[in-house]
Amino acid sequence: MRARKSPPPAATAEASAASIDLFESKPSAANAASARVAELRFGQVGIAQLKLHSLDPALVYADVEARVRAAPQLFEGAPLVLDLSALDAVPAAAAVRALIDAVHGAGLHPVGLAAGEEGVVALARALDLPLFAKLRAEREPAPVPEAAAVPVTVAADADPAPEPVVVEVPVPAEARPVGQHHADPVRSGQRLYARGTDLTVAAVVGHGAEVIADGSIHIYGVLRGRALAGARGDASARIYCQNFQAELVAIAGQYRVFEEPVADLHGKPVQAWLEGDKLRLAPLS
Amino acid sequence: MTEIIVVTSGKGGVGKTTSSASIAMGLARRGKRVAVIDFDVGLRNLDLIMGCERRVVYDFVNVIQGEATLKQALIKDKRFDNLHVLAASQTRDKDALTKEGVERVLNELKEMAFDIILCDSPAGIEKGAFLAMYFADRAIVVVNPEVSSVRDSDRILGLLASKTRHAESGEKRVAQHLLLTRYNPERVERGDMMSIADVQEILGLEVLGVIPESESVLAGSNAGNPVILDTASNAGQAYDDAVARLLGESVPMRFTEAQKKGFLTRLFGG
Repeated sequence: MRARKSPPPAATAEASAASIDLFESKPSAANAASARVAELRFGQVGIAQLKLHSLDPALVYADVEARVRAAPQLFEGAPLVLDLSALDAVPAAAAVRALIDAVHGAGLHPVGLAAGEEGVVALARALDLPLFAKLRAEREPAPVPEAAAVPVTVAADADPAPEPVVVEVPVPAEARPVGQHHADPVRSGQRLYARGTDLTVAAVVGHGAEVIADGSIHIYGVLRGRALAGARGDASARIYCQNFQAELVAIAGQYRVFEEPVADLHGKPVQAWLEGDKLRLAPLS
Repeated sequence: MTEIIVVTSGKGGVGKTTSSASIAMGLARRGKRVAVIDFDVGLRNLDLIMGCERRVVYDFVNVIQGEATLKQALIKDKRFDNLHVLAASQTRDKDALTKEGVERVLNELKEMAFDIILCDSPAGIEKGAFLAMYFADRAIVVVNPEVSSVRDSDRILGLLASKTRHAESGEKRVAQHLLLTRYNPERVERGDMMSIADVQEILGLEVLGVIPESESVLAGSNAGNPVILDTASNAGQAYDDAVARLLGESVPMRFTEAQKKGFLTRLFGG
């Protein structure tokens, strides 16, 4: 329906340069403490992985672009790990470069490869891209031609516990943006996502609308739809709303649906928080 | 300055085409040069309700595909010669519409110095509805006082705020109006229909007009005479009020209170 935003870029340099930005430490941090040159910190950050079933850059571009368009707040500019395990063979470096360009052109930033077969190690070296430990996102029995787990740069954990999708990469704490603000009504079918921060909505969140934040959520209006705080597992995240009529509330994956209005909460200012792994709700008084 | 107004709803059967026909007539009766376009390719209805179905030779799709000129396809209304209808094609589907084609036709209509281009959207949120709203400056969202219609309208209002040319360029917003149709004050009083206040509260918008449920609407549609021409009917007068408000006039709401005539309404203190 809509014309392509831009053709896949031709140059590879652009894509890899953009991905490096992500790991750059902030100059201000270095300046603050003159003695320190750099600080190495470890944190956890969720990352999307793109499992490729095709090597055709045009097809991949169209597919990814459609996804980005469907949920721009969620995907635009998001870092991404390419998973080549579903392909018949480990592709050539040039082919993967073309794919990276296509994905980048569609609005996402490939930052590395998912560890897999032997050949992927050499491929990552050839492309000068980091390898990420096998992600634990997939619960489905992986139809991957099983290869020995490759020791990689980031913490490789063989334990297939169903944890949230996280890969350990250093993220400068200073890079955490200030809260995201939204002044218009969030309508049915709309989805807002505040990446790595809090979300404030100064309007109504309608039935069938979804507001998501990695931090806390504050709604100065009626919450009729869904609110999901601590989307990447932050159990200290909270949800506050002025008028509670929610369909669903979730914090760090613990959720509760409200089929019937809850007498003590309905229409009242309410906050939600986690106590252990119990989701609590109470009127704000 | 030509203004493009889309009449949309998300849900089907709420009265988009009926409202488009009446609003187009009402605007023309107030002296505006109006072109009304049926975007419901494949389910052509607007020409029927406007009473010009037998004069359709070329349609919107013909113009988009260059098989006819816009002048050939525009049908001049017999009652108001400042009102023109561009019918949909009955034999094609929505894929016959393209963004570029729609834009070209709209630009050509602007050059023909129409004051208002009214786009009658199909139901749904697919291509036809998307293209009908994409170029709009203003939107009239037709809603019935029932939950599913209100929910779908909320969805459409969200799309109007994000998937239109104005929203994408970020220059300005598409002005949004609610038109509440099939309103039955007696049923609202009995509590089996949503009230104006309920709808306004959920959607966070004031209504542009409230059209009472009326037998004259269907009678007019079947005869090819949009109900606004029936100046004796409540619905016709309510549409005319809505048109006046659309043009910036301040007109009080009418026909929104139950009339105290029936035994039941008296019993429930109407």
